[in-house]
Amino acid sequence: MLGVASGKLSSWISRQILHYSSVGGYLETVIQLVKPNWRDGYYRAEIVAVKKLHANTVEVQLKVPSYWPVHKAGQHLELTLEIDGRLVTRLFTIASSPSLAKSKRLVRLVVKSQPHGILTPKLEALALGSWVNVSKPSGDFTFQFNLQPEQRALFLAAGSGITPFIAMLNAMLNNMLDDQSRSNKHERDANVSALHLVYYAKPGEHLLLDELEVIAEQLDFFTFELLTRTKDGELSKKLPTLNADALYVCGPSPFYHAAAEFAKRENLPIYAEHFSLIPTTPDEQQTFTAQLNSELIELTNAEPVLTQLLAKGRQLTYGCKMGICHQCQCVKKSGVVKNLRTGEVSDRGEELIQLCVSQLMTDVELEA
Amino acid sequence: MISLTSEKTNQKPSQLASQELNQKPSHKTEPNYEQLGQQLDGLRAETMAKVGQEDANYIRLIIRLQRLVQWSGRILIVLGFVSPILWAIGVLLLAAGKILDNMEIGHNVMHGQYDWMNDKHINSKAYEWDIACDGASWNRVHNYEHHTYTNIVGKDRDYGYGLLRLSNDFAWRVKNLWQFVTYILLSVLFQWGIAYHEMAAERVFFGKKKDNRQHKISHAELKQRFFSKGARQLVTDYVIFPLLAGPFFLWVLVGNLVANLLRNLWTSTIIFCGHFTEHAQVFQEAECKNESKGQWYYRQALGSSNIKGGNWFHVSTGHLSFQIEHHLFPDMPARRYREVAPRVKEIFAQHGIHYNTGSFLRQYASVLKRIIRYSFP
Repeated sequence: MLGVASGKLSSWISRQILHYSSVGGYLETVIQLVKPNWRDGYYRAEIVAVKKLHANTVEVQLKVPSYWPVHKAGQHLELTLEIDGRLVTRLFTIASSPSLAKSKRLVRLVVKSQPHGILTPKLEALALGSWVNVSKPSGDFTFQFNLQPEQRALFLAAGSGITPFIAMLNAMLNNMLDDQSRSNKHERDANVSALHLVYYAKPGEHLLLDELEVIAEQLDFFTFELLTRTKDGELSKKLPTLNADALYVCGPSPFYHAAAEFAKRENLPIYAEHFSLIPTTPDEQQTFTAQLNSELIELTNAEPVLTQLLAKGRQLTYGCKMGICHQCQCVKKSGVVKNLRTGEVSDRGEELIQLCVSQLMTDVELEA
Repeated sequence: MISLTSEKTNQKPSQLASQELNQKPSHKTEPNYEQLGQQLDGLRAETMAKVGQEDANYIRLIIRLQRLVQWSGRILIVLGFVSPILWAIGVLLLAAGKILDNMEIGHNVMHGQYDWMNDKHINSKAYEWDIACDGASWNRVHNYEHHTYTNIVGKDRDYGYGLLRLSNDFAWRVKNLWQFVTYILLSVLFQWGIAYHEMAAERVFFGKKKDNRQHKISHAELKQRFFSKGARQLVTDYVIFPLLAGPFFLWVLVGNLVANLLRNLWTSTIIFCGHFTEHAQVFQEAECKNESKGQWYYRQALGSSNIKGGNWFHVSTGHLSFQIEHHLFPDMPARRYREVAPRVKEIFAQHGIHYNTGSFLRQYASVLKRIIRYSFP
């Protein structure tokens, strides 16, 4: 009651007197004097450990605030760093269990750094005790504990796609330990009868192996095998040899597509999270799907987005059509565009773009 | 793959030379537009590549400073009952706070100069300033019309604000005889002039509706936004804060009134110095059809004038003392104008373009002279 009233009062004050969408936003720069990197609308997390797992993989432990809503195993969060004055946001799957977040407020990320990436190469240089910003967890790639006895779930991971499975397996392990401590020692998780992980990576680049071994030792229904494409062949060849009632996939798009095709053929349920790299400049004409507010529109990369939308009769605010006046600016929720004025290729995440100088490089989601 | 300007660059700027209007310096020798365009584009790209942490830290520092100055001003105004000197300092601080908000922060952020920061609050879509004018309305008229059609007669409504006659391209009317008084009144009420600006041009309340005008926004919405933003300003400064001061109601009311007046006079003066000095030129619509990027730069250069001063002076004008650089590169973080200015001057000299700059007093005297000169036919 009091909370609602004070919320209303603060939103009235910010609108009427401060002209800001929130009091926190108005005071942000002042609050930052006391709390470095405090940002309105984000959670502030402290870096408590940074460890290099591999030449190109880094493990980062974050301490989240007590009011951070704990994730479900398999979910991701947005990590935001200020890089040369610019807030850069990337999605990362949480590679630790919800109970660790609940009991110790710790969240672990395991990140493969992209050689020409903006954010990932900075992670290994993060200082202990420094502050970064994170979002609340989101995503629906979580384990559906609804398999019948005698049914078999198959986890398919590629490269750093192992992370959500590590979170899920750790969560199962914690649940089991909890159950045991609650005295029903002989019953194990009745909902899962068998769980098998097929983990593809480049030779010698399989991550978190010691952890997988510990889990396999303790969870007697869990087995795993490590594969490399060069030695064991493509996933599409491997799949028919496996016995599964449901598929869980996390890896790059081609990996996912191989699994999806198999699932369709065999009529199996499939749950997936897949990622792709930022594309290079397209040389030939391509067609993409743009989601403008809630409408889906087919656009090409041959002309700026604004020109095409106006030609299709969409009502948009615009001005100079040469990238100067910022009238046609809109929020890009996702997707990659190239700024024709500067030649800069955008990030995948949310940012402001000027439609009149934007060329599509992938499908996009726009809010105008 | 897509070129934004290529279809235009081959056009000969023949119209420019043919339009020689009396009473202003002629366009003399024509610069090499293509080279001018390339040089200025190059300068922009080179400077924008340097934009980063330093600029983000700077704008955050200014925003922090603004909060400090504005709120200490508001507190000192109430302490006027202790000593009128505190009240006077408070009024000056509040005015300074409003000037920082309107110019170095509001004007520049709303131009998109800091959009690259990806900050939820410091960007041209989200920022709303502490002034009667609705930010979105200003964005339409100023960012688009004024910056795209700078000083083009009939296209740039900022030119004399439809109230003042500042060139022979406008027919003389009897009301121009007392336009100096009109100018003083406009300066005193500047925030309301800016707020009303778009509606005046759209003939929302008075005057003949123009048929050929493309409406980007309905009159009903314009009115609603005008009254809602205006009311918010009035209620905040003249009702809420005075009431909060209880018995010192009047101290606060008058203090806020004076602070707003000072802000109005300062912003109006700086803006007039940027565009209406004696030598700032106007253009005809026909001249500017099918302009190339180089020609566009040229027009920006001739339509603007700078004011010399120290760093704090530049901050207090929101770097509009670098009006020329601002018009060439409206979305470059304004503090960078200081470092590009010498290079711009060099490029102008190379093309024989007049770089209009001078001390504050000289430029302001030149504005007043122009207002008086064009009062008469």
